[in-house]
Amino acid sequence: MKTWLAVDPAVRQRIDVGVRTVLAVLGGYGLALLGAAALAAGLPFDFRPDAVSLAIMLAFVLHLLAIIWVFATATVIRAVVGLAIPAAFFGLWLLSIRFG
Amino acid sequence: MKGQTMTFDQPRPLRQSMSWLHTWSGLLLGWLLFAIFVTGTLSYFRNEITFWMQPELHGAQPVATDQIAFLRALALLGRDAPDAQQWSLTLPTPRNPTLGLSWQAAENRPPAGDVARERPDQSGIRGEGEEGGRRGNRGQGGAPSPDSAAAERSSSDGAIRERPNREGMRGEGEEGGRRGNRGQGGAPSPDSAATERSSSDGAIRERPNRGGMRGEGEEGGRRGGLQREQGEPDSLAAIEDRPPVGDAARERSNSGEARGAQRQQGQGGGGGGHRGPRLVLDPASGSTLEGRPTAGGNFLYRFHFELYGMDRIWARWIVGIATMFMFVALVSGVIVHRRIFKDFFTFRPGKGKRSWLDAHNASSVLSLPFHLIITFSGLVLFGNMLVPSAQQSAYPEGLDAYRAEARRMFVPSDIPKPSGERAPLTDLAALVAVAQNTWNGERVGSITITHPGDRNAVIEMRQMNFPGLTGGRNIPTLRFDGVTGEALATPPMRESSLVQAIGSTLNLLHRGFFATPVPRWLLFLAGIGGSLMIASGLIMWSVSRARKSPGPVPWGHRLVEVTNIAAIAGLIVAIAVHFWANRLIPANLATRADWEIYAFFIAWAIMLLHALLRPGKAAWVEQLACAGALFALLPVVNAATGGLALPGSIGRGLGLLIGFDLCALVSGAGLLFTAYKVHNHVPRARLAAEKPLPGTEPALLPAAMEEAA
Repeated sequence: MKTWLAVDPAVRQRIDVGVRTVLAVLGGYGLALLGAAALAAGLPFDFRPDAVSLAIMLAFVLHLLAIIWVFATATVIRAVVGLAIPAAFFGLWLLSIRFG
Repeated sequence: MKGQTMTFDQPRPLRQSMSWLHTWSGLLLGWLLFAIFVTGTLSYFRNEITFWMQPELHGAQPVATDQIAFLRALALLGRDAPDAQQWSLTLPTPRNPTLGLSWQAAENRPPAGDVARERPDQSGIRGEGEEGGRRGNRGQGGAPSPDSAAAERSSSDGAIRERPNREGMRGEGEEGGRRGNRGQGGAPSPDSAATERSSSDGAIRERPNRGGMRGEGEEGGRRGGLQREQGEPDSLAAIEDRPPVGDAARERSNSGEARGAQRQQGQGGGGGGHRGPRLVLDPASGSTLEGRPTAGGNFLYRFHFELYGMDRIWARWIVGIATMFMFVALVSGVIVHRRIFKDFFTFRPGKGKRSWLDAHNASSVLSLPFHLIITFSGLVLFGNMLVPSAQQSAYPEGLDAYRAEARRMFVPSDIPKPSGERAPLTDLAALVAVAQNTWNGERVGSITITHPGDRNAVIEMRQMNFPGLTGGRNIPTLRFDGVTGEALATPPMRESSLVQAIGSTLNLLHRGFFATPVPRWLLFLAGIGGSLMIASGLIMWSVSRARKSPGPVPWGHRLVEVTNIAAIAGLIVAIAVHFWANRLIPANLATRADWEIYAFFIAWAIMLLHALLRPGKAAWVEQLACAGALFALLPVVNAATGGLALPGSIGRGLGLLIGFDLCALVSGAGLLFTAYKVHNHVPRARLAAEKPLPGTEPALLPAAMEEAA
């Protein structure tokens, strides 16, 4: 932590922004894909195409929320945790559907 | 990042981080988004634009089709396509005063009896239809399209069958086509399923109007022309939709397309001829109208979501990503703007950045619901492509299973197969009268005749103006025995689930599938508001930084300034040049549709060059004035190059021509006025140097403009 703080603030900020951008774009998209997969398989619709459609719509909202979270939260660590928790939820849900 | 720094490694207000996100997500792809918004806004009237671009059709009388015109239309169809599986007629509408004819060849039909008949297609088709329509149109008008029509058809064999009726539409179909492919054809386009579905509804509805699409055929036209030349299969359309779907599916469709293409050539006479699946008649006289080949409004429409000159899937991904940026910029902008409603009523002209901010706020808030819906629905339209995991997860057994099930949303057609026994068709004009009576005077928008000339011929009539914005995907339809003329049971309607209703509503709103002009105009105005929102946001980035940094202009600021000029004013010039090119390129030049498009890009490139070479303010003024003059003179060009002049179109009540010419005049005047204002503008920075700005207390500045401490 100390070495990190020792970095020039301008450089540190650039790194911070870069990491958050990657998290928001790729992490957020990954979360959206995973969420869509879980929702499409897990939503209780009799007609599966409806589950697919709704999952797609919710995926975009999920990505949006992930982006906002990543840039709004105080630290990069919190940003990662904030993505990891829903990802774990959707991942477990998907696993339970597949193998449960 | 110079203008707005923010420190991420310590707590800061939400609005500050959202302000940063808003600024950068808006700027990064803002220029592309502006082009997407402007071309998309114009696409609400692409049929009208295409009609304007085919002055040969301006003489059509917007009258109800009479018996003689019907007889002539049926005679033409009987001559050109006696063995077609289905004939389609699109009757004159306010959006297209011509009578459109198209057919679906029987050969195309795949053996697949079942599928073929499904209505889904229809829907799908239609959906496509809209697009398809345009193709078709083109075809008609420009002749070139014929092929495309055929192609599409083929591509969608499945589709074809299905909806023969739609065929027309299908023709259109770029989307339709593809859809067709997918959905119907069995080629399932899984991806689009959801979307398409909805779209289809939309399409459906639309169709009536568009029926007209037909006429318009813009795309079709150009496609016919362009693509062909380029060696692209027309049916790209079909393909396009489908994203990276299963290879198998794709191959299928490809082959379908190929077939289509061949067929086209066969039928269309190599595409060169004016005869093809789509013919345009003057409803008053029944005489054939031949419009020039034109890129038409379809070029703008395609550019809106597929850009130009690049792989369609890649282009759609780029547009989809830009749309996501837009989504982020919108929502973060709303968070920034806690005083959103108060700001809406605030406009402080002549105050430099503050005025730009007010303009940005007003244009954003005024149609915020539109911006959110149009952006979200744009994402959903590409949903199956952008979020492939949903379908893959729900259907581990594969894409085909998804498509097959999604197709169940549509009610299978119950039209009997042909008997093989010939029989003359009944009197079409009389049936139209019956239908209109049944509907209490509502007009018939389109007619499809399945198995014409056979004992089992069936005639379906669809209403032109169906009620409701979101009321369902079912257009009121009546069905008659094609030989005896007696009424048959109407085709079954389908029920939509809540999700399907949401999906189709989004699609409907995005694509403006309305029969009536008022909501279409509202969407158009909201689209202009969105374009202004993006433009003012981009300009504000420059203006706010210019004030902050005295001394030499950093290269980044100059880059943004030049790009702003070329992307905003330059694009408007390019669109005006596109319309001028339509009238100045000889009508008989074979590649004229392509040259209309090349003129657009050449003009745009020149504007970029101009912006690079001139000082910022001078470049703005000159390009805005140029665009204004070009637009303001369009009605004159129209009158001078064979189009129906404004007095004539007003006299004849041709709303689509009146609308085009008046819009050109108003836009031209607005652009000239803007150029004048910019010309007289004294930069705020210069004033600021002389005296402190009143009213710039930080508390009053929205966060978007706050500088981080």
